[in-house]
Amino acid sequence: MACGIRLVARVRSAGRLVTAVPVLLAPAGSRQAVAAALDAGADAVYVGLKGWSRGGARRELDWDELVAAQREAASAGGRLQVAINTIPKARERAQLFERIPGLLDLGIDEVIVNDVGMLAALRKRFPGLRLTAGIGCGAQTVADVAFFRDLGAHAVVLPGTVSPAEMREIRTVHGIAVEIMIHMVEEFVLLGKCWMPSYVHLKPSPLPSLFRSQTRDGDDAPEGALSGLRQTGSMKRGGVGACFRICQQSWELYVGGRRVDARLFPSRQISRIAEVKAYAEAGVDVLKLQGRSLPVELLAPLVRRYREAIDARTVPAADEVRSAALPATWAVVGR
Amino acid sequence: MSPAISQFELNTTIANLRDLRESDLRDYDGVYLGDIYCRIYEANFLEQPDDLKEGLRILQDQGKRAYVTTYAGPRNDFLPRVRKMLEASAAAGAEAVEVHNLGILKIAHDEFPQLPVHIGGFANVYTAPGVEVLREFGAVRFTPNYELSLDEINEITTACGAPMELLVHGKMPLGISDYCFLLDYEEKWGVKCPDLCQKELFLKQGDWAMKSVGKGILSGKDVCMLEHLPRLLAEGHRYFRIETVSETPAYRSEVAAVYRAALNRVAAGDGEVDEGWWETVRRHARIGLCNGFYFGRSGMDYAGVRPDAIGSLLTISRAES
Repeated sequence: MACGIRLVARVRSAGRLVTAVPVLLAPAGSRQAVAAALDAGADAVYVGLKGWSRGGARRELDWDELVAAQREAASAGGRLQVAINTIPKARERAQLFERIPGLLDLGIDEVIVNDVGMLAALRKRFPGLRLTAGIGCGAQTVADVAFFRDLGAHAVVLPGTVSPAEMREIRTVHGIAVEIMIHMVEEFVLLGKCWMPSYVHLKPSPLPSLFRSQTRDGDDAPEGALSGLRQTGSMKRGGVGACFRICQQSWELYVGGRRVDARLFPSRQISRIAEVKAYAEAGVDVLKLQGRSLPVELLAPLVRRYREAIDARTVPAADEVRSAALPATWAVVGR
Repeated sequence: MSPAISQFELNTTIANLRDLRESDLRDYDGVYLGDIYCRIYEANFLEQPDDLKEGLRILQDQGKRAYVTTYAGPRNDFLPRVRKMLEASAAAGAEAVEVHNLGILKIAHDEFPQLPVHIGGFANVYTAPGVEVLREFGAVRFTPNYELSLDEINEITTACGAPMELLVHGKMPLGISDYCFLLDYEEKWGVKCPDLCQKELFLKQGDWAMKSVGKGILSGKDVCMLEHLPRLLAEGHRYFRIETVSETPAYRSEVAAVYRAALNRVAAGDGEVDEGWWETVRRHARIGLCNGFYFGRSGMDYAGVRPDAIGSLLTISRAES
């Protein structure tokens, strides 16, 4: 297929209508979560690479865990994608690139990025990589998708705020796979367009020492290990504990200098499970779930419910769809 | 090639024809027309092709560089209007279009190649490779992401020589939303859209604040680089923005007069800042002054050569007392 999704979209013959079944792509923040997601019916799982994924170390896998997770995915017939969705500075970027061949050697060739420069640089240096423009790239329109196609992305992720009707227009762009983050938290500010946290608080944090297990002698300071500082507080650039969740805290609203209200920014949990078929018919290639930090006990039932919805021959009425909602406490912190 | 030190550009943003007509633009070299946040912002140039043409004509008659900006968070249904606006801009002789969205960049590049493209702050230019990508789509000038420090910006310019446009004064954009929470107050306040966001609206949390323009969030404090202009010019920067899209005509003209005089003085080899200039920027800063992220610190910090010169950093409550 022309697009980058190597996962084989299953085709279901439901009597007369043949519709390509989208791939179910689940999040995982641990080796256990990878196994649970696959067991619950995910076709593919994405994980964060420690030190290089937006959102912080709590939801990332170190090299040993990555190796084990890849083994798990391969034995289950699924695939593993790796999020490298920070925006490294030039020196860090060179060190990261030294590690990409290791990923490829493991059989991991699908990478999620967050920046057009990173996407272009990885494409040029590693033509064997299949690159996804992650949700932080901010694509929402048919023109955005065409841009990322032209740039050489194999897939692009759109937020769950994009409707099936919009998706039908978007799918007029060929040559790139389209993913929808069908289950996610919609924050007040668009993803990839927010620097409120760093306006409040920006401090350098030490980069984790990575890939120690890749060294042959277990040296604590292996060649290529990262050192230095990263700016904590930048949602876009990533880093350790990047977001201070400014948008989830209470605000006092002043009009003309007078306090008139105390309020939260609006945010909501989007679950478009009842529209799985509509997205499939619109031509969406991948249904993606948000939440690399979800504990296994929440992740597995969530994945299972989407698996059931995808596999259903007919779309159940909204009140028949088993709830895919997560606890209200699972907000930005759980992305 | 960067212009000579005396050939800097000072520009700003104006959202509609009324504001344009009421503004004294003598100290600006260029103006971006349009509001990037909301399609139903009052008489937004980006929704009024006739107003846009008239606005461009007014700027051209005044000898200004006439630019047009574009939406930062478009959806599919924006795009037909965006195309019409780009068509009107090209026909009316706009010198460049500012683009914050990559899909609009592709449209401009593919369908209006005669329009030079300036990259806006929401396009997320963080690195030299990012600049190179956007250059391939016709971009000729770049506003780096506001989170970058001057050192990081200089790394980019050193690596690829891209001309940067820097916010030197005004409220820094911090985010954009699909949703206007001010609509929740239409009934309670008895004020309808699009008049809601014409009010002076601040959101306060503890000791810090942000300004709301409905779908847009701006810094509460005004970025102020007045005493750092010598460094900016010495490092080769020549394109400077005073962000006034949500400000009054008085703010727009008086702050520009300060920066015009200050830049002229720096270009002549003198970096001294007049006390009267400080008084002007302090008077217009509703919450206080900051340096944004230019010195690698929190965006609302101020790292001054003369920290005392900016006065006390007012909070809303103090301003009201």
